[in-house]
Amino acid sequence: MLSKSNKEKLAFWVFRILSFFVLAILFWILEFIFIRGWHMLNWEFLTEMPKDGMTKGGIYPAIIGTLCLIAGSMIFAFPIGVLAGIYMHEYTKDSWYKRFIKLMTNNLAGIPSIVFGLFGMALFVNAMDFGDSIIAGSLTLGLLSLPVVIRVTEEAMLAVNDSFRHGSLALGATKLQTVRKVVLPIALPNIITGLILSIGRVSGETAPILFTVAAYFLPKLPESIFDQVMALPYHLYVISTSGTKIEESRDMAYGTALVLVLIVLILNLLANMLRRYYSKKVKMN
Amino acid sequence: MYKLESKDINLYYGDFQALKNISMNFEINTVTALIGPSGCGKSTYLRLFNRMNDLIPNVRIEGEILLDGKNIYKKGLGMRVDELRKKVGMVFQKPNPFPKSIFENIAYGLRVNGIKHKGFIEERVETSLKQAALWEEVKDKLKKSAFELSGGQQQRLCIARALAIEPTVILMDEPASALDPISTAKIEELIYQLKEKYTIIIVTHNMQQAGRVSDKTAFFYLGELIEFDSTPKIFTNPDKVQTQNYVTGRFG
Amino acid sequence: MTHLDIELKRLKDETVEMFLLVTSQLDKARKALFKFDKALAREVNFNERRVNALELKIDKDCENIFALFNPVAIDLRFVLAVLKINSNLERIGDIADGIAKYVVDTEAPYDNELLEITRFVEMYGTAVEMLQDTQSAFDAEDTKLARGVFNKDNLLDEINGIANSVVEEYITKYPGKISQALHIISAIRKLERTGDQAKNIAEEIIFYLEAKVLKHLSPKAKAE
Repeated sequence: MLSKSNKEKLAFWVFRILSFFVLAILFWILEFIFIRGWHMLNWEFLTEMPKDGMTKGGIYPAIIGTLCLIAGSMIFAFPIGVLAGIYMHEYTKDSWYKRFIKLMTNNLAGIPSIVFGLFGMALFVNAMDFGDSIIAGSLTLGLLSLPVVIRVTEEAMLAVNDSFRHGSLALGATKLQTVRKVVLPIALPNIITGLILSIGRVSGETAPILFTVAAYFLPKLPESIFDQVMALPYHLYVISTSGTKIEESRDMAYGTALVLVLIVLILNLLANMLRRYYSKKVKMN
Repeated sequence: MYKLESKDINLYYGDFQALKNISMNFEINTVTALIGPSGCGKSTYLRLFNRMNDLIPNVRIEGEILLDGKNIYKKGLGMRVDELRKKVGMVFQKPNPFPKSIFENIAYGLRVNGIKHKGFIEERVETSLKQAALWEEVKDKLKKSAFELSGGQQQRLCIARALAIEPTVILMDEPASALDPISTAKIEELIYQLKEKYTIIIVTHNMQQAGRVSDKTAFFYLGELIEFDSTPKIFTNPDKVQTQNYVTGRFG
Repeated sequence: MTHLDIELKRLKDETVEMFLLVTSQLDKARKALFKFDKALAREVNFNERRVNALELKIDKDCENIFALFNPVAIDLRFVLAVLKINSNLERIGDIADGIAKYVVDTEAPYDNELLEITRFVEMYGTAVEMLQDTQSAFDAEDTKLARGVFNKDNLLDEINGIANSVVEEYITKYPGKISQALHIISAIRKLERTGDQAKNIAEEIIFYLEAKVLKHLSPKAKAE
């Protein structure tokens, strides 16, 4: 039999090793991509159009395309998601109606992304006649991230202690004033964290853009939101599996993967800074 | 006329009756303490006067609450709930300043009630802080976060915040239970001074505190008002055995 | 001033009022006796009600302060002291009332010779002085003044000690004035008790200010 303290030690080491294991996998992937993609990273690669059957040149249009899609989907999903989250938490009473919306939101989050892609194609591309375009892709990605944004907003509102609401209401503030001036500023840092998560998800998705926006090869920049664009994840998929010269574009693929990872990393850092700034501002203001 | 009156109040949480037939009158410029064991309904009763119970689902209220002779629960002809809460301020058990500056915490109540004039707000912030005996301690750091204050200071800030919108009644729900003895003594002194201008109802678990600050004391037990009389009477010679057992610490 | 300070100040003011009332009762009883002023004597009897009412008021206030404020340390000693001072003062009030009753019951003025030989005037003056001293000591929180009271009591004891034989002589000389003589000997006993009450009051004042218990000590130890 192990003594109590030895059990404690054993458990501690098991947990420690497991967490190191997770970290190791993460670093392994990063290292794998960095080592193979690092030498590709130069100004040309980032700013030039792809050439020679995507075995040479850069990935500039794909970067721009992905950024457009991130921005477009956020413009759509953020206000709707946040407002819906606020409504869900602050305004609906606990009833079958609220539980139903909640259930549906959760279901929405569980739908495979390829289904979103097909749905986006049916609704935005065909029925609404946007064609394969940034707007159709953004709306589809927006729909995909909506449940996450709603959930995150709800959670963030839930985390705000009721004593703040009561304090505000007791001073004669209305519900709207209370939400706008007290609850939201406190919840904002957490909402922003949620946004980071959904941006991460959007930027890496391939399936939803497959039928709604992504171009196989389009060596020019979009001129309006009704244009098609290339996008990093799809580009990566194309040059590593279905391109014409897979072996020759191997380096290009690692470079693209690295850029995609870097974009997500930079976005995360940016959002983190923003979050810190806000939580400071909320305290100081 | 009494400042506040409650007539035959019954309150139900779903099927559970939390208050049974409570009728009490509160004279102007007095401090009334509500005492009783946990769950006796004293906090629930307190929250009737600014309609904070409305926030809890499934609450049903019967009877009348009169503020200056007007029924605050009367539909249509009654007053709006935000208007009511302007007249009936509240201080909570745990200090709950907003995550804003000291100045903005007090200005908040004014701003949400539509006051925009900068000079007026500044003046009112100063007066309220002085009334709450906090001005000397914070006058040089009004722009600092309210979270930098100590617990006792935060609670006085919350009192100042309530005073800023010039209520006539102040409800206090165990305002010193989360504070150290020195801060508690300061809050008690403050209550004693504030009664010159306000009608105060205070819920407290601390019987000595009820003795020190209040003019009248009401003893609640299991949702009923057992005894309501002058504080010296309750603490030296209560009429009911239950009251005596409670104030002497023999139960509850 | 804190709330408790305000309550304690009020209690002190009431106690000083009690001092003044009782002193004036004792003083009026003296005047009534010496000047054979029955009207004044009746006034003293009447005012006894005021003394009793004030005693009850102070008792009630002490009770409330104990119940509501839970005083500690010097505040606690002060309220305890006031409680006892109050009952001592009430007894002095009773004594003044009793002396005034003799005046009302007597038919002729008291014989000057009797007052002279018993040193009654001197005794009465000292008793009133002692009471005044305790009042000043209480009011000014002056323990030195309070200690002075113990010495003055010696005179009262001395006069009380010789009173029996002096009055005996007087009665033998004037058998027709027995009733007068008995009044005076009773009054002397009462004044002696007044001195004791004043001493008790002084002890209470010292107890509350210095936290020293002087009860049951020798007179010498008390004075130092």
